Amino acid sequence: MNLKRYQNELVALLAFLLMLGAFLYKNGQISSQAEDAATTKQAVSDFKEIVALKKIWADKKTSKKVEKLKELIPASKVTWSKKSKKVTAVYEGLTSKELNKLVTKILNLAVEIRQLDIQKTGSSYHVEFKCKW
Amino acid sequence: MGSNKELLLAHASMEHVSLSHSVNIMLTPQFYTLIKEPLPVKYLYQAKKIAPSLFEGLLEEGRSYEYLVFKEENSWAFIAYDVDKITEFLGTKGIKPEQVSKLFFAQQSLTSFSDPVLLGKKEALVVLDDTVVVVPQAALGEETNPLTFNDSFTPKTGVTLQGAYGSLLSMKQASALAVAFTFFAGMFFVEGWRYGNNSKAADEEMQVLLEEYPSLQSKMQRENISAKYKTIDAAERKKREVVKSLSMMIFKGVTLTSFTLNEKGFKVQFSCSDAKVAKRLNELAKKEKLNASKIAGGNDIQIEGTL
Repeated sequence: MNLKRYQNELVALLAFLLMLGAFLYKNGQISSQAEDAATTKQAVSDFKEIVALKKIWADKKTSKKVEKLKELIPASKVTWSKKSKKVTAVYEGLTSKELNKLVTKILNLAVEIRQLDIQKTGSSYHVEFKCKW
Repeated sequence: MGSNKELLLAHASMEHVSLSHSVNIMLTPQFYTLIKEPLPVKYLYQAKKIAPSLFEGLLEEGRSYEYLVFKEENSWAFIAYDVDKITEFLGTKGIKPEQVSKLFFAQQSLTSFSDPVLLGKKEALVVLDDTVVVVPQAALGEETNPLTFNDSFTPKTGVTLQGAYGSLLSMKQASALAVAFTFFAGMFFVEGWRYGNNSKAADEEMQVLLEEYPSLQSKMQRENISAKYKTIDAAERKKREVVKSLSMMIFKGVTLTSFTLNEKGFKVQFSCSDAKVAKRLNELAKKEKLNASKIAGGNDIQIEGTL
């Protein structure tokens, strides 16, 4: 086949192929942009979740907040032991009201509960609590 | 050789032909103008550039000429030819443009014309001063032995008949289409490029977060932190849910006797005032999907489970 004979068609065809290539490029960009946007959105959401989790479970104020478990109950009833980021507390002779207050406080603290023992002795309660953060 | 196709010698007095296939055509000097110049140029493209100026004043005005340039032994050969005139002539001899594969010029096969080639009854092609020319046969000597023109005269390179023959599109139409397609191509490229840039803008929020929390810049670090805190979060939420569920089971007639919770599981014992309360407590535990059992010899209920 003599290509020169069809040079007009070839010129139009080449321009058409250029247009087709550009169209495919544009479509590729659109779909990759949508993909990127979804990936970025997910990454941002994951990032925010990590930040939120870190804020809860690595809160620098937790140490101070844990101290309130000691102050919540009269000192005579509390045996307190704190080492680094670990606390072992023993509460003796708690009334049901004091027990409720203590358990509610423990549940609202962002600490890892390692042990929580409650024993009823007569009308009072004996509590042993171990946690870390 | 330029091509394996049959080579026809086209001359003014040639006879009408009927072709069913495409052929190569060799043109006699009747269809072109030749100039030989020993120009001090080295490359063909340089010689081609000056071709039109060499023929100034020599060619018929108002016609469109194409040029073929090639190097001979000591000089450059410039050939000017009128495509329309050639096409028109070939048409009168029954050769359609689309049947012409390549056009050659007799001057290109200078060495092949070692003897005259007869053109019809009156003329002949001969070489004079390294130039192929048409002379009357009467001018040839008596002992001349004419050559038979055949495919061996085909030069290495030829030219193609240019124009709109065989084309569905004219040059004007093709140009218009090409411009339109190129315009759209440009638009699509710009649009695609802009979409690409928008994608970069979407990353900016992530960049702001990364700048705010430099300790979380590494993906691996983020994954480790995420895994660590997600595990803690899930376990601690479970513990708190269990305590809340159990605390909901304390109602009138139910007293908490003992409760133990550690990282593996929990165990709780309730003392109930009577069997009715114990039954209700048992139902509540079942509702919460907890494993409750009644302690023999009393109304105490024990619930235990794993975390």
